[in-house]
Amino acid sequence: MLSRCRQLLLIIAAFLLAVPLVAQPPGVYAITGGTVHPVGGADIEGGTVIVRGGLIEAVGRNIPLPPDAVEVDVSGMHVYPGLFDAQTASGLPEPARRASFGDEAGTAPRATPAPEPTATFRAAETTKLTGEMLDSRRKTGVTTILVASNAGIFNGQSAILNLYGDDIPAMVLKSPATQQISFNPRSSWTYPDSLMGVIAHIRQTMLDAAQYDAASRIYSRDPAGKRRPTPDVNLEALAPVLRGELPVVFIADSETMIRRSRTLAEESKLRWILSGGRNTYRMADEIRSWGVPVLLSVNFPKPPANADERTEEPLRVIRERVLSVTAPAELARRNVPFALVSGKAAPADFISGIRKAIDAGLSETAALRAVTLTPAEILGVDRQIGSIARGKIANLVVTDGPIFDRDSKIKHLYIDGREIRLPAETTASPATPASASPIDGAWNLTVRAPDGDVSIQATLRLQGTELTGTYSGSAGSGDIRSGSFNENRLEFDITIQTQAEPSDWSFSGTVENATIRGTVRTNLGQFEFTGSRTP
Amino acid sequence: MSQLRISNCGFIVRRTSVAIVTLISTFQLYAQTAANREILIRNATVMTITNGTIPGGSVLIRGSKIVAVGPDDQVRAGAGAEVIDATGRYLMPGIIDTHSHTAVEGSVNEISLPNTGMVRVHDALTNEDISAYRQLAGGTTTANILHGSANAIGGQNAVVKWKWGRPISEWPIADAPPGIKFALGENPKSANFSPPAGVAKQYPATRMGVAEVVRDSFTKARAYMAEWDTWNASRNKANLIPPRRDLLMEEMAEILRGNVQVHAHCYRSDEIVMLINLADEFGFKIATFQHVLEGYKVAKEIAAHGGLGAGTFIDWWGFKAESYDGIPHNVALMTRNGVLVSVNSDSDELARHLNLDAAKAMKYGGLSEEEALKTATINAARQLGVGHRIGSIEPGKDADLVLWSGHPFSTYSRVETTMIEGEVYFDRNRDLQQREDRKREKEALLTQEREAEEREKARAKSTAGGSKRGMGNER
Repeated sequence: MLSRCRQLLLIIAAFLLAVPLVAQPPGVYAITGGTVHPVGGADIEGGTVIVRGGLIEAVGRNIPLPPDAVEVDVSGMHVYPGLFDAQTASGLPEPARRASFGDEAGTAPRATPAPEPTATFRAAETTKLTGEMLDSRRKTGVTTILVASNAGIFNGQSAILNLYGDDIPAMVLKSPATQQISFNPRSSWTYPDSLMGVIAHIRQTMLDAAQYDAASRIYSRDPAGKRRPTPDVNLEALAPVLRGELPVVFIADSETMIRRSRTLAEESKLRWILSGGRNTYRMADEIRSWGVPVLLSVNFPKPPANADERTEEPLRVIRERVLSVTAPAELARRNVPFALVSGKAAPADFISGIRKAIDAGLSETAALRAVTLTPAEILGVDRQIGSIARGKIANLVVTDGPIFDRDSKIKHLYIDGREIRLPAETTASPATPASASPIDGAWNLTVRAPDGDVSIQATLRLQGTELTGTYSGSAGSGDIRSGSFNENRLEFDITIQTQAEPSDWSFSGTVENATIRGTVRTNLGQFEFTGSRTP
Repeated sequence: MSQLRISNCGFIVRRTSVAIVTLISTFQLYAQTAANREILIRNATVMTITNGTIPGGSVLIRGSKIVAVGPDDQVRAGAGAEVIDATGRYLMPGIIDTHSHTAVEGSVNEISLPNTGMVRVHDALTNEDISAYRQLAGGTTTANILHGSANAIGGQNAVVKWKWGRPISEWPIADAPPGIKFALGENPKSANFSPPAGVAKQYPATRMGVAEVVRDSFTKARAYMAEWDTWNASRNKANLIPPRRDLLMEEMAEILRGNVQVHAHCYRSDEIVMLINLADEFGFKIATFQHVLEGYKVAKEIAAHGGLGAGTFIDWWGFKAESYDGIPHNVALMTRNGVLVSVNSDSDELARHLNLDAAKAMKYGGLSEEEALKTATINAARQLGVGHRIGSIEPGKDADLVLWSGHPFSTYSRVETTMIEGEVYFDRNRDLQQREDRKREKEALLTQEREAEEREKARAKSTAGGSKRGMGNER
């Protein structure tokens, strides 16, 4: 009952917050007295930024204040361009769970999976961002995001959204911004169900798209006596990609996947962008020589919680974990154009991830550029956003200290030239460390089986939206597999050993107030389970 | 013992010719080799494979190639040569495994369709599979990485050298002919596994169906080739819609043109004959029959087919119904009936001691030592179309060499050094040293990580303690 009341209050609050945002016309502001960090130019002490009609009208020192401007005195504060998170899948449906070779017959797929995206899929039309999600981005100084699905192989067309208001079509700054490709095999027995199959599929699709384009041109020139090419919207959607008008983003983290992306890009002569890029720390010279821009994810690997587990891990795992955080500094040192993006990290970890990169040797100036002007340049929107310059969209963040300092707070936020009233006193540095996630840690799970309760102790660890960990109990022990956690919804599998043959149990449930409730599918039927924190 | 004596006699006869070949080749190659770094391996028992065994033999390497082989007093190196004293040890060419699934990222089976000839193992190769390094420690330097056997026609294979530590682009042997996997019997008819719930079993479900998939594929390929021939012959190309480029059909067409080596997974003799007949019907050759546990029953037919022979296990059978008739004498019986035979692994583990599997061919069926050695070296090289560059110790060939502490057919011998193209990729002493280095690196990295976490903690504390801005408790 209580929780329902709370939900209602939240809805009312969101409504109240949303209405003034939409209704507010872009005003005229003179932001004076602060240190302006325009990015792409020298810092201006005691500078002035004039905002009018949603755009930046002027920036500099000793600029006369227009008589109709509302003066906002930010003396002692810092003025930055709004931050641009140039790769996130927030608001898009979760990828369907992949049934794989060796899955127990009988483990039916859970929930109805969203249909797999195709090249025609437009994130601008499918993204659903709740007021809460939008606020959680704005309160960290993020004013612009690029949303793209990461499900399927051709993930579809991404959209760049400027986060004013709550009406997604009205937020669109550029769509399509990119076509995106991920190396996700399909379920077993559905082509392609292997990595090599995925690559063969991409290769054939690119050939088909070129063929379709050529056939359509020849046919439309003189259709008489020719068989009409079978209409295909997906192949049609790839024509701008093959012409080099629309860049392709390849999602690749490991060195081998990065090299495969490049091979495919070269084969089809694509204009491409690397996204993810975890292993770029050890191939930075090559990345530079390829001339490919990088959307580098701050989804850095996390260590296991306990010290013993750390030392038991193989060197190659430790190497990757400790050194991947140096990738931004390595790329910066070689002048590789790169942006820092949340990627598969939870959006809440974006700022803390940037801070990790700074701690590992990236200068604050380079970090700022990597979340403002560079992503705008990579994605071809640098005439609109990315720096504080005359004529650009007025996305501005005003903080009381250097933006990436842990104790700096956001004092003013402008998106599209409107001042955004943030829900509470907020900060670029979220007070809650990422480790205090609602799911990380030790849980007691109780499965209500017909023969009596089965008790399982599980230790869960969240990495982006991927859930890993271990479990133990009377039913055996082992690793959590195929785990995910997103917006309070968790799913994971374990293999139970008590019977003659091991069988898979698939858990799915929701977390609320430190309690998990849900169902578990087993070879013996479907049961309810609950979970509470281990005291 | 008698085997050893025979090969020693052979050596005396051949000694002179080896020396002459050596001299000529030394001069010819001197100009060609870019890297002139010389390594002289001295005074080993050199098992050349193709020219007998030389006790007290030496091998000179320049750059990536072998330039001279012969008795120690007849092989001369330049002044700057690195000299390895191999007294008391055995030198043989790197072992070649004609059936491997190592170093493939993701599934080795594209399981979805009865014919997946468009997928390429090359695309999924990874240089991060530790098994490659472990195989070097067992003397294996080259492997034929095949697609799995889930479908009648599988994907395209890759012939690679285990250049551990080098980028994956450097692993494939550039001039190895392309190849493809076929599979017959239980696996392609899905007898031993089931799709997940809700997914229908796919065609074919019988051995007849497997044959039909092959026949159907090549029938379609002929039509595809004809379609392209028509288009290529047409005069008004600019105004004609070209046929679709179909990567599966192009691969089938390449098989029909004889440009692709077919490596066919099979067990039963009836199926082997079936595939020979099918290949004859379409006018191409089966390069190798793989596993081929009943090969001894149809050895004459395999030899008469005119392919490159058979790759088999020496003593691995009975693991499913179609493998019950396997016998360890298969290698010897096929060899005696004119089939080129290699012993291979299909296994990360077995690939580490193929020397012992070759040795067993002496016990079961009485192959000579030289014949047995060939099953793991030159025979395998010829089957993969790379016999011109690897598989034996001869001037002009790649310096892919393995130095053993004793005779490679003894279970007590171990690999001391494995070399590919003159580069050391495994060395026992170096490995022992590297274990210490790795331990130190691991400790240093963990310290680095701990320090970063402590810095972060300290910052969090100072923020929580020093600020009155209501950041809240961060513990």
